[in-house]
Amino acid sequence: MTHSLHRRGDVESLKKDFLVLACTAKGFNDDVFAPLGSEFVRICARHKPVNGGDMKTGNLLYVDPETIAQKVSRSTIIEFTFDDKQNVIDTIKELKERDLGISVVISGMIDEVNDIVEKAGLPKVHTREYSLGTHGKTKLLPEWEVLEFTTMCGHAMVASELVKKMIVDSKKGRATHREAAVVMGKCCSCGNFNVNRAVELLEKNAPLWTADYPVY
Amino acid sequence: MLVDETKCIGCGRCIPFCPVQARSFGRAATSGRTVIVIDRDRCAECGVCERAGVCPVDAIHQDLLEWPRQVRSILSNPLVEFKGTGIPGRGTEEIKTNEVTGRVKYGRVGVGIEVGRPGVSTRWTEVEKIAMAVAKLGIEFCAENPITHFMLDKKSGKLDPSVVNEVSLSAIVEFEMAEEQLLDLFRVLREEVDGQIDSVYTFEIAARLRPDGTTTVLKKIQDAGYDMLKVSKNNLGLGRPHFPEEVAR
Repeated sequence: MTHSLHRRGDVESLKKDFLVLACTAKGFNDDVFAPLGSEFVRICARHKPVNGGDMKTGNLLYVDPETIAQKVSRSTIIEFTFDDKQNVIDTIKELKERDLGISVVISGMIDEVNDIVEKAGLPKVHTREYSLGTHGKTKLLPEWEVLEFTTMCGHAMVASELVKKMIVDSKKGRATHREAAVVMGKCCSCGNFNVNRAVELLEKNAPLWTADYPVY
Repeated sequence: MLVDETKCIGCGRCIPFCPVQARSFGRAATSGRTVIVIDRDRCAECGVCERAGVCPVDAIHQDLLEWPRQVRSILSNPLVEFKGTGIPGRGTEEIKTNEVTGRVKYGRVGVGIEVGRPGVSTRWTEVEKIAMAVAKLGIEFCAENPITHFMLDKKSGKLDPSVVNEVSLSAIVEFEMAEEQLLDLFRVLREEVDGQIDSVYTFEIAARLRPDGTTTVLKKIQDAGYDMLKVSKNNLGLGRPHFPEEVAR
């Protein structure tokens, strides 16, 4: 479960946030998945993803795409994150032409995904998963600005406290926005974390936060 | 996770990396030096602190987890593969492979209730409350899901008592049901879950779309008053089907 349909943010920010993944179907195509998954990695890597990876190998912030491609196994999920819609369209077009026969999923704003599918020349979306939001004891949730960062990791590996520290570190000049975004992104092994979007969020949030976070 | 008190210099660099804030400054039992201590009850065994590579003296390490504590890592550490699904991570393939498997058909919906997300974590007592509430609808829990595996009774949703006090970053109650049952599901969650659990949950519903890109599920969600997020997960249908094509309805 990538959790990618629960990413938080304003519309303009989420319009620059797409996840494209390939998944093995256990018992159906896992016996042939590895080389096809490798090709999926190479195709995605050609279209300027901002991050990506295989949870078993790591993400593009510390592993090169060819290493990820060579280590794809029969039981994994490979994921690439994009901040540019045209790059996603080009990726899907190439995947369609190559006809790998494995499952490909896009997460993103509903209208944007519909447009991508149309421009890539595909029929309508096959199956869609809708997010009905967060419920229960919602007063336990971190601040909205923190959720904009933490929900970019599909497995909750980016800690709320780390986000606060990185906002303050970038505010105080202890790290550039990109350095702070990369520190957070490295925690997300699968490569779901959109580093470019994180840089923009830091630019937006750093001036608004007070710098009283403990220094570690 | 454990901190080697003989190595730890108490710098605190690892503290903000913990998603459940289980790390704090304390005193070493033997030397009395300032070191980092881990609240073992709170720690979800996700392994982020070790993988972050921030400890300058290599004092953080993963201990061998015994039953039932090892279920924490199965549900929290994405690098730990659950044998039931054969893939790392805490869920299943769900609709990611639906065009290949035909798992969610017309007239049916796939439901995911991820307890503890985003950013809160959960004790499994709360997971059990939700599972037992929705089980009354006669739904079918997904067999490959780890939480289903840890159910003592898959009809009632009751968890194995030996794991029910464990903690994880999140846990997904995952099931399929008839589309017509959605209103009953919404009622159960609102009346028996929302005010009763000591955590949060994200809620998702998956539907097979008709060839024109529509589904009657959407109207049911909207009529029920849910404030849907604008982001969705979409299977593009590029996989090779392994089941007879259905007729849309």
